Amino acid sequence: MSELVLQAQDVAIHYGGVKAVDGVSLTLERGQIHGLIGPNGAGKSTVIDAITGRTRLTRGRVHLGGQDVTALGPTERRMRGLSRSFQRTSIFGQMAVRKQVELASHKMGVADSEADADAVLKELRLTPLADVTAESLGYGEQRRLDLALALVGRPSVLLLDEPMAGLSVKESLDLAEHLKALTSRWDVSVLLVEHDMDVVFGISDVVTVFELGRVIASGAPAAVRANPRVREAYLGSAA
Amino acid sequence: MSIQSISLGTVGALALGAAVAAFVNSGTVLSLLTQAIIYAVFAIGVGLLLRQNGMVSFGHALFFGSSGYAMGILLQLRLMPAEAAIAVTLAGMAVMAFVIGLVIVRVPGVAFGMLTLAIGQMFYLTASRSRGLMGGADGMNIDWPATLFGVSQSQLHKPATLFLVCWITLVVVMLLLALLLRSRFGSVTEAVRDNEERARFIGIRTLVPRAAVYALSAAVTGLAGLLSALNTGFVSPENLHWSLSGVALMMVVVGGYKALWGPALGAVVYFLAKDILGDYATHWMAIFGIALITVIVFSPTGTAGALARLVKGKKAAPAAGAPRVAARH
Amino acid sequence: MLGINLFNGLVYGALLIVMCSGLALIYGLRRVVNFAHGSLYMLGAYLGYSIALQTNFWVALVAAPAVMLALGVLLDRYGFRLLQDRDPLTVVLVTFGLLLVIEDFVQTVWGKSNLSVPAPAALNMSVDLLGAPVPAYRLAVIAVGALVALGLSLWLRHSKVGLFVRAASTDPTTTAMQGVNTDALSAGVVGLGTALAALAGVVAAPFLSLSPSMSSDVIIDSFVVVVVGGLGSLAGAFIAAMVLGMVQALGAVYLPDLSAVLPFVIMVAILIWKPAGFAGSRT
Repeated sequence: MSELVLQAQDVAIHYGGVKAVDGVSLTLERGQIHGLIGPNGAGKSTVIDAITGRTRLTRGRVHLGGQDVTALGPTERRMRGLSRSFQRTSIFGQMAVRKQVELASHKMGVADSEADADAVLKELRLTPLADVTAESLGYGEQRRLDLALALVGRPSVLLLDEPMAGLSVKESLDLAEHLKALTSRWDVSVLLVEHDMDVVFGISDVVTVFELGRVIASGAPAAVRANPRVREAYLGSAA
Repeated sequence: MSIQSISLGTVGALALGAAVAAFVNSGTVLSLLTQAIIYAVFAIGVGLLLRQNGMVSFGHALFFGSSGYAMGILLQLRLMPAEAAIAVTLAGMAVMAFVIGLVIVRVPGVAFGMLTLAIGQMFYLTASRSRGLMGGADGMNIDWPATLFGVSQSQLHKPATLFLVCWITLVVVMLLLALLLRSRFGSVTEAVRDNEERARFIGIRTLVPRAAVYALSAAVTGLAGLLSALNTGFVSPENLHWSLSGVALMMVVVGGYKALWGPALGAVVYFLAKDILGDYATHWMAIFGIALITVIVFSPTGTAGALARLVKGKKAAPAAGAPRVAARH
Repeated sequence: MLGINLFNGLVYGALLIVMCSGLALIYGLRRVVNFAHGSLYMLGAYLGYSIALQTNFWVALVAAPAVMLALGVLLDRYGFRLLQDRDPLTVVLVTFGLLLVIEDFVQTVWGKSNLSVPAPAALNMSVDLLGAPVPAYRLAVIAVGALVALGLSLWLRHSKVGLFVRAASTDPTTTAMQGVNTDALSAGVVGLGTALAALAGVVAAPFLSLSPSMSSDVIIDSFVVVVVGGLGSLAGAFIAAMVLGMVQALGAVYLPDLSAVLPFVIMVAILIWKPAGFAGSRT
């Protein structure tokens, strides 16, 4: 079995009486793409918030590269290589593209932040837009910028919260291809939450299905797809 | 702005100042210009806060008046030579503002504005009701010594000299700010302004940079207060009043806050308008109020923004906010 | 001595209630902190003065707020409504511009010197209250404050329109989707808020006297009341107004140096601790 870069054990998040996430365990192996699917409100985004430290856990532990990071905040986790993109694009509207990516890189402690920024921009095909103010970018370009901010400093784990949301079919396919390439070229392991079934089943090595804050199935895509409980709850028996 | 354009601009501005001082003979005109420059520096301080932090202060007159009072008190008590007092006053403004800033920059949006209004007015009322040294509602004289930085009082108070002193101060302030904002500090504060959560996520501590900007804007405005104290030799509670803060804010809005020189432009517009309006100048409040409303509604980036758009030939819709222009830093 | 001061505190508190309920209503519905509210108060006072000069106090008491109500409706229709999608700070700056225009207008029309307004003849006397003589007029002011507080509370809580106002304050989009004409509602509420400011002005005139600095004198206290009470909360505003009225009145006598500073200190403390104010943001 290859190295476990990320591990969430029996994670629970309860708000008052609501059990948004109720005893979830997840693992991510090095170089893997792990897809999380489930109906809206199933708790997927909350799990990402929990793993990144944006929300406090009611219960459970999170391990990054073998180390327990449960007590650390989101910034510390980021510094150790646990990065994320945001469901609602979160960029610096009035700053130029390259400037903000370089700033993010610098803040990560990267020695040559300029080179790192250029590499990330090139990887995400943002180089021609380097001097453009972020809010002038098109939606798809802004999403790529959001991703660029998450990729500086070569994180080991990347959590993506609905990266395809609002993208055209072509853009989604491009991004999917890209993610696959990134895992090998940049040694990044990806955990992604998505609604686009084709994408998820197409690129994931492992798929986990959520419902009402719990995992109801997990495994290789084909197996999960065929799982009757999953079909009933989520995919519909026609899938 | 590139180093080139900054250097060029600085040299050009200094040359312009020298030319004006040399060739304009009318003491009245020079005096008017001096006043405009002092207000310009004041407005630049307010504009800096808006530009770098995205925050609006309705009470910056607090720093304008306080530095005058501080100088007055220090000089009266003969605690130190005037040159030292200037340094102490400026440093004191910055420190006081930093401490206040640490507390109040956490307050979001309009609440921050209301807070600044309240704090500003608090200082005003304290000064108005003071007795003794500060002179209460009548204000206090500022006893400048016979020589300041080696220059005699009589020489210093010649209109041309005062003008030059203020002009050079303005140019130096702009230069230092332009350099500072190109630096890492500028990027960090802009990031915090644009998206506080993401800024924190990438490892920026958001409280200190914002308090630092507030302190810096206070120091700039305090510097204007010192220039005013030199110019008039007098300080009164009126220098702390919210309407003065309002005037400065208007200059920022009308002139435009995105460009560093925008507020200075606003100051010029204000004084020009007051002059041109002549008899109607008694209605400056209404006219400026209308100007403020018009500018805010139709061109939020102010006159500077409109001019910039004209020069660049773009036809971006002004109501959308920032012009769609490639950032050049 | 204490009694008189407490009494004066009640009077000022009552005035603040009338004034600040308008401010709170406008904020509740349009999420706008109306920096021009003090100027509207002043304009109402001066209007009342002129009307009273031609007719009498009682006519002015009704007419001035009525005129200002119309002005408020226009302000909403051509100001707040058109700017509702903009940054709240933008709208605040516009109200600030409006403040300047009104200030200038008042000074132009009525001049800069202080004007005095006599109390109406019917109330120009002393009344015996718990053994001490108090001006009947001031007693009436307290009554007005109480009436406004009571009236607004009952209206909001028990009438259909009041329900719509509360709903629109909480969630304008959903309320509009339910078929309520939120634009008309907002215009009405802003009109009402403006009228209340004017009413406060007319009522204040006999005992505070008219001056161009009226608006700035009162706006800070109004901000403190609205912030401490919770932006948009009427009940909070009522309580805060009374408390502040007392603090001001007592402070002016016993702690003159501190009394100017105290409201600010309170406001600063509250805003830092709870940027949304004490009572939160619901009516």
